[in-house]
Amino acid sequence: MIITPRYLGRGSWLARRDPRVPILIGVMAALGVIQVWDVRIVVVLFVLAITYYRTAGIPWRAVRRQWAFALAFVSFLVVLNTILTTGEIAALDPSTFHALFTIPVIGTKVSAESLSYGATQMMRFATFIAIGFPMAYAIAPADLGAALARLGIPGKFAFGVDLTWRFIPSLAGDLQETIDAQRVRGYEWDRGGGPITKLRRSVPLVVPLTMNAIVGAEDTIDAMDLRAFGATKRTWLRHLVFDRADRLLLLFTFAIFVAITILGFSGNAKLFVFPFLLPA
Amino acid sequence: MATTQLDRSRLWEVSSRVIVYAAIGAALYGVLGWLINVPIPGSNNVSVRPAFALVPFFGWAFGPIVGLFTGLVGNALLDQLSGYGGLTAWNWSIANGLVGLLAGVFAATPMANALGNRIVGAAVIGVLSTIIGLLFVFTDIIVFGNSLQAALTGSYGFVVVPDVIAAVILVPILAAAWEPLKASLGR
Repeated sequence: MIITPRYLGRGSWLARRDPRVPILIGVMAALGVIQVWDVRIVVVLFVLAITYYRTAGIPWRAVRRQWAFALAFVSFLVVLNTILTTGEIAALDPSTFHALFTIPVIGTKVSAESLSYGATQMMRFATFIAIGFPMAYAIAPADLGAALARLGIPGKFAFGVDLTWRFIPSLAGDLQETIDAQRVRGYEWDRGGGPITKLRRSVPLVVPLTMNAIVGAEDTIDAMDLRAFGATKRTWLRHLVFDRADRLLLLFTFAIFVAITILGFSGNAKLFVFPFLLPA
Repeated sequence: MATTQLDRSRLWEVSSRVIVYAAIGAALYGVLGWLINVPIPGSNNVSVRPAFALVPFFGWAFGPIVGLFTGLVGNALLDQLSGYGGLTAWNWSIANGLVGLLAGVFAATPMANALGNRIVGAAVIGVLSTIIGLLFVFTDIIVFGNSLQAALTGSYGFVVVPDVIAAVILVPILAAAWEPLKASLGR
């Protein structure tokens, strides 16, 4: 069993950037997009996000399942949101809505406002995803710890993240060994049954794997203690330096973030209702 | 059997032991969460994830810092391995982290010995920390613009029921396996 992060963007323009760049862009996008409800602005952000996504060079064939799942899940949430709220939208007066039709049985009134809200929500989700994928696929796993440390995250925490990545392949190997060992004893994970039965059936895998990992960790702890871990500030083998392209990209993203924040605080990013949905 | 509850004076200490256990917890959560999940029939891709039980367990066994890291980084790692990006649903990672943090804090209270039994205490802590910690997913209202009802049924309700089931079944089993091991390791 091989479980490693898929570094699909290897060699792409974005992957050649300092690993702090996609992380900082992800943070700014997460904080920026949530301030906007005007679909015209969200569309612009989505186009920028897709352009950014393209620079990661992620092959479509490798991620189409993830895109399909993410979009299906988002669509479900948006529809559920619209149905459960019976067409109401926070901070807006329902009496001003332009009702278009009522969903039979459940009685939800679908208005021009609720459709516009749903469409905007969908675009916002898609923008998040387009920014999130490059973070998953265009940062070299080995650079993550150094990048977090250089971003001001406490060194021990950054080292913990680095260590987490390093444990993954060995733990995946241990899991495969545990599965094989249990199969020899007649264990079958996919034998049918309900969720609770299957959950209980996971015990022969989860418990030995966890206990073995904890006991095995003693060697790592001893090795770290012998090297006086935490006694002084840790240095990283990977030396990170922003180049001109990194700075320009971050500056551009920061400018967009500031513009969005100004629009949001000035009340110019509120819900935009599609004119074609409004009665003439 | 080993000591009754975690030593409060060392609860927030960040030693090499804490870092390694935290990294192990997060990696286990990521690997097991990715490979082993049990879909609930009739739901929209909602699964019981046995791996979730590791979050309250690591918090209970090794303290709040380990629990926080296991949930926070483990969930982000899971999202990263799945390909959605570790920061896309950052509020869900924080919610998972809070579960571990609370489990660690509760383990240092008399709750750890609920009904005079450490194993029952672990189950109680697992359930309580899950119910309270996951309340943070209500930030979906701000982050994704969901309504309160959608956050309650579409986010919190969907995740808390399967995660409580996983916690109530697996945390005591893991605790029962860990207690004698802990004594033999001299912890």
